[in-house]
Amino acid sequence: MSETKIEMKIDPRAIEICVRCGTCRSVCPAFEVLGWESQNTRGRIMIAKALREGLAPDSDVLDSLNTCTTCGICAAKCPAGANPPVIVQEARRNLVSRGFMTEAQAGFRTKVNASGNTFGEKADRLGWLSDPSGLKDKSDYVYFVGCLDSYRYPEVALKTFDLLKRFGVTLLPDEVCCGSPLIRTGSEAGRFVDKNLDQIKRIGAKTVITGCAGCYSTLKKDYPPDFEVLSVPEFLAEHLSELDLKRLDMSVTYHDPCHLGRHNGIYDPPRTVIKSICRLVEMKANRENARCCGGGGGVRAGYPDLSLKIAKRRLLDVPSGVDAIVSCCPLCIRNLRDAGSEIEVIDLVDLVERAMKSV
Amino acid sequence: MDLIDQLREIVGERGSAAPSERLCYSSDASQVKGLPDCVVRPMSTEEVSMVVALAAELGVPVTARGAGTGLAGGAVAVRGGIVLDMSGMNRILEMDLANLQVIVEPGVVQLKLNEALKPHGFFFPPDPGSSAVCTIGGLIANNGSGMRCVKYGTTRNYVLDLEVVLADGRVIRTGSRMLKSAAGYDLTRLMIGSEGTLGIITRAGLRVVPLPKARRLVMASFDDAETAGRAVAKTFASGIVPSACEILDRTTVQVLRRCDPNLVLPEGDVILFEVDGTERSTEESAQEIARVCSPIAAEVVSASGEKEMEEIWEARRLVGAAISRLDPTKSRIYVGEDVGVPIKKIPALIREIGEISERFDLPAMKYGHIGDGNLHVALFIDVLDDDEWARLASAADAIHRAAIRLGGTVSSEHGIGAARAEYMAEQLGEGTLSVMRAIKRALDPKGILNPGKLGLDESPSSGGER
Repeated sequence: MSETKIEMKIDPRAIEICVRCGTCRSVCPAFEVLGWESQNTRGRIMIAKALREGLAPDSDVLDSLNTCTTCGICAAKCPAGANPPVIVQEARRNLVSRGFMTEAQAGFRTKVNASGNTFGEKADRLGWLSDPSGLKDKSDYVYFVGCLDSYRYPEVALKTFDLLKRFGVTLLPDEVCCGSPLIRTGSEAGRFVDKNLDQIKRIGAKTVITGCAGCYSTLKKDYPPDFEVLSVPEFLAEHLSELDLKRLDMSVTYHDPCHLGRHNGIYDPPRTVIKSICRLVEMKANRENARCCGGGGGVRAGYPDLSLKIAKRRLLDVPSGVDAIVSCCPLCIRNLRDAGSEIEVIDLVDLVERAMKSV
Repeated sequence: MDLIDQLREIVGERGSAAPSERLCYSSDASQVKGLPDCVVRPMSTEEVSMVVALAAELGVPVTARGAGTGLAGGAVAVRGGIVLDMSGMNRILEMDLANLQVIVEPGVVQLKLNEALKPHGFFFPPDPGSSAVCTIGGLIANNGSGMRCVKYGTTRNYVLDLEVVLADGRVIRTGSRMLKSAAGYDLTRLMIGSEGTLGIITRAGLRVVPLPKARRLVMASFDDAETAGRAVAKTFASGIVPSACEILDRTTVQVLRRCDPNLVLPEGDVILFEVDGTERSTEESAQEIARVCSPIAAEVVSASGEKEMEEIWEARRLVGAAISRLDPTKSRIYVGEDVGVPIKKIPALIREIGEISERFDLPAMKYGHIGDGNLHVALFIDVLDDDEWARLASAADAIHRAAIRLGGTVSSEHGIGAARAEYMAEQLGEGTLSVMRAIKRALDPKGILNPGKLGLDESPSSGGER
């Protein structure tokens, strides 16, 4: 035990509610790969509690807390009603604020702070848009692109914007990272929140639409509630009749991103869109029980091996005979692709675009 | 060389002495605490044998642990030393279904085994509430069971053979693939329920049974628990052996209904009768139960189908910890939670527990396996209130003593561990306990295997309670 007591600004009851029954052992994706109690939800809660009582925040403690993808399946299964991702995130935040973080966390933070995006990219964030000059200055709707689609999947950004702009949707002229990667890994993101918020207000947008589950969760929960947040699948499901979609003769499965599904309850809209286009065959674990892709919570950046192992495990849930795995989060899509999926992994807007082109 | 370095020569990176890891292994789901010096995750019998031989040489305690779901501190290293996390040894080695058995490693999770058996039309009946998590090794070491043991018996009835690492590192087998055998002392049964004090289980041959073709659930509610108890006695007397026979007192029913308003459950003190067999036999039995209960029941209803039945059982399995969902200031603390009495005494026990709950001003849910006399008492406290902790300890003690006074047991299926060690002499008698101690000395002369448990210490046990 060290002299440094970590000031945990968290209701002790939120920790004490855990009765250590161990139900989380049956679902925690990191634990399934790693096998140590410290890398299971129950252990993380014990560690969060012990930090308050003087446990030294050494590298093992940091690994325990940072191998959580914050997927929230433990919260969905917890008989006592604990919300472990909140505890883990709060513990990370408290540690980072006192200077305790992994090299990966520190490097990530420096990179995002310096560049305004998760990749440290210096290139123009709107590089995917051939002509930014025609963007509307005022609109009820803004499409928040996110770092991943801006820099790694520009074709998805373009397809999404093509779909949305017919409804009068515009873009932020100087969008920066939503802050999710910083907030999930324990750092402050106020600067980014303020910069995006300021632009949203200047445009006069009442609704912000995003195609990234991480951005969605952050815009919804970490920004002031001054505007409505819609995910792309919600927006598409609402406007299905206006899209003139043709049916495709194919079967797909759908991967629920944790931050759309369990964290925000968005299960049906993507399914509605898919079913209007082609056959949907559910994954072995789906909706509330969907397994994590392994990419979230800073795990992809901090523990790439673990992240890919979790993704490979998720691929085992894919039903046989489907032509594609569809999802609504570029981070999930990227991780499932990197894990070597033999079936193509596509964004929902890729599927919609195919259905619009088809005759 | 440090202990951890010596252990790492055996298991490599699967050994840890990190403070945070030791902390995470310092408790199970009970209130017993004990910090191990090292944690080891063996992957083979050979590794277990080498670790135990090393521990014997150094005189270091060794405590085996499965999933750490125990409710009595059985897997907690109350004297420090090495915790052997057996959950990584989780292979189903052989499905020998022609001989009605499977051979498994101890870390296999109960539900995983049953998922593997289901396509073959078999199952392993002992079904604790923690079946999605708990390991076969832990079930054997505690003689665990669950709702269906009223018909199918406890883990003890399903173990044919064990591979065990003894306290000096030697490896023995206790049985065979025979479904019956009359050759000598029954060492298999000696190991079952021994809570890791006589040896470390590294492999098990388990008897499995065919899955029933049909199950039906009849729910009957009563004005009071005593009437409910009478209904159970009448049902047994009518010649029906239910596959589960559970009581949920009215508080428990209220909690379940508030957790899931869609749950179909009558109000009052409720008995859930499950019968299994063929479509025809279950229909007949269900009708007979309804006929027997109706004259004294407030209401008798049947679950409409498989789905509704599963929802009720799922809710029942997880009710233990669910109280916090209704009142976040209250937590279920597992103490005094596993008493059992002869089934005729159940109404008397329920009455006494009601009085204890009032006397110590602690709300209690009572539910459990009324068909075999096992009552789970759920006490709730505000964990930030020291006075409530003190009253909780007194209430648990009173519940344990009431069970013994009624000719029952302080643990029906969760085990003794450290939490209930102090009651062993009172429940068993000094003579019986001295025989257990003699066996312990013969098999573990240095006392390195899970010390501080089962009341085996010559001096009163230090339970390590909060």
